Amino acid sequence: MKLKKHKKISGSKLMIYILLSVWGFLILYPFYNAVLTSFMTEKEYIHSGFTLFLKEPTLDAYRFVFSYSKTWSGYLSTLLIVAVGVPFNLFLTVTLAYALSRKAFPGKKIFNFIVVFTMYFSGGVIPSYLLIKSLGLINSLGAVILSYGVNTYYMIIIKNYFMGIPDSIEEAARIDGANELMVLLKIYIPMSMPVLATFLLFFTVDRWNEWYNSMLYLTDADKWPLQMVLREIISTTNNTLAANVSDLKTNFSMGIKMAAVVVTMAPIIAAFPFLQKHFIKGMMIGAVKE
Amino acid sequence: MKGKETGWKRHISRIGKHKYIYLILIPGIIYLLVFSYIPMYGLTLAVKNYKPKLGIIGSPYIGLEHFKRLFAETDFRQAFANTIVISAGRILFQFPFPVILAVLLSELNNGKYKKLIQTIFTFPHFLSWVIVSAIVINTFEYDGVINQIITIFGGEAKLFLADKNLFRPLLYLTDNWKEAGWSSIIYLSAISAISPDLYEAAQIDGANRMQRILHITMPGIKSTVVVMLLLSIGGIMNGGFDQIFNLYNPAVQAVSDIIDTYIYRITFQTGCNFGFSTAVGFFKSVINFGLLVIFDRLARNCGENGIMG
Repeated sequence: MKLKKHKKISGSKLMIYILLSVWGFLILYPFYNAVLTSFMTEKEYIHSGFTLFLKEPTLDAYRFVFSYSKTWSGYLSTLLIVAVGVPFNLFLTVTLAYALSRKAFPGKKIFNFIVVFTMYFSGGVIPSYLLIKSLGLINSLGAVILSYGVNTYYMIIIKNYFMGIPDSIEEAARIDGANELMVLLKIYIPMSMPVLATFLLFFTVDRWNEWYNSMLYLTDADKWPLQMVLREIISTTNNTLAANVSDLKTNFSMGIKMAAVVVTMAPIIAAFPFLQKHFIKGMMIGAVKE
Repeated sequence: MKGKETGWKRHISRIGKHKYIYLILIPGIIYLLVFSYIPMYGLTLAVKNYKPKLGIIGSPYIGLEHFKRLFAETDFRQAFANTIVISAGRILFQFPFPVILAVLLSELNNGKYKKLIQTIFTFPHFLSWVIVSAIVINTFEYDGVINQIITIFGGEAKLFLADKNLFRPLLYLTDNWKEAGWSSIIYLSAISAISPDLYEAAQIDGANRMQRILHITMPGIKSTVVVMLLLSIGGIMNGGFDQIFNLYNPAVQAVSDIIDTYIYRITFQTGCNFGFSTAVGFFKSVINFGLLVIFDRLARNCGENGIMG
């Protein structure tokens, strides 16, 4: 009797393992297939069905992607957007979070409303476009950087975290005459390093994946970030691509497209296994009520 | 008079006492005023005939012209209907999936397998739709792996990305592929808040796994599920721009054109008057606002925090 019960439980557990593993496989295989495609010849792509290994791998697609000048200008733009944009995001979001985490001060309700209202209502694409235009930022990376500033969702999570830090910790500093600015710099920021690191990662990913504002504002293709370059490669035919590189050996466009995908997501794939726990932690902090 | 003066003074001294808070507050507030509130003012274009030379303020008022035209426009009606149908489809076919994933994941012991599978599940969330759509196209195109498998089993290859009947299911499937693992975290954290005593007691009473899931786990995450459901109903006016914009093509436009893709197209591709496309945006923003406020309040009444956190 006891044995039977034990067996039944492990049966249902086995079922769960199978279901989750199948879903895991369905997530992984398209990635693997994309990587395979990037090393394939056109002949093999058309004739091979579901494969795990390649018969005649080729680097032609990567030769193309790396000799394509926009790949490099794209990397440069993306790195610039991340390097300038992420500190900009963090500065605005953390200062706002700290100020709104303070106990009552005159006007707090109004400021809080100004912030929260932007989560419910927005002017939308055309007024934003006209604003950027009137600021003279069309075709400037500044437009892309400035268009993403405060992230209100992140701000609220950070604010709630700040509110959870006990007052007693800052009281000693206050007795010594520290002002709000010093309390933020000397106490709150050092105490919240792990949380802030998590949001640094979130902002970095957001910036890495940036394409929409670039599409709206960057008219000059040399200024496009990597994601836009990838978009272009995906939507153009190989003939157009070939015109850009004279010694092109391959005209297998799907191979080139997947090589471009691999080159664009490689940094995220490389970093993700080490950073994943921080992302989940960020989500958990957000999920837990104050 | 004198009393009033001291009242004022007290007020100013109160503000002065908090001057560093305002100093810290200023950058974020200025940012929002410029990049969120000025565009809100720009919505007045919806009742104006936009002339680039005259700017937003100088362009002449034309009343509700744009809105009259809007409701007569078949493309707009189609986009509006598609937005609602696709959002409803997402709630029906996508919403339950992360809940199921979380319940299954929570049944695993903490160990290497759980860590690995969760890493795999959450990873696609961190890729842009530009990347994911390329992978989707590679997988589902005519020569792609799905069609190769179909033909091996004697089926006929399909144009998944250009088939009006298959495109919407493809949207639900691929969005689930990308986001379900990530969305499951919120339910996992709700499950982890359930007291382990309940599970122990159930074990002693001889409840099997299914009974434990149905009678402990599900009631334990019910409020989270309800809140998330209400919030997704509140967001029904957003059909998922990034995904659709990167996947759709003229062959499936009739079933996949949502308000946001419609606005983009008429503004930047067919080049119609900015006043008209602002009117479309305004219409969407207002309905969206109403829905968010209503469903956020409902969510809050369910004892949770709503989108404000």
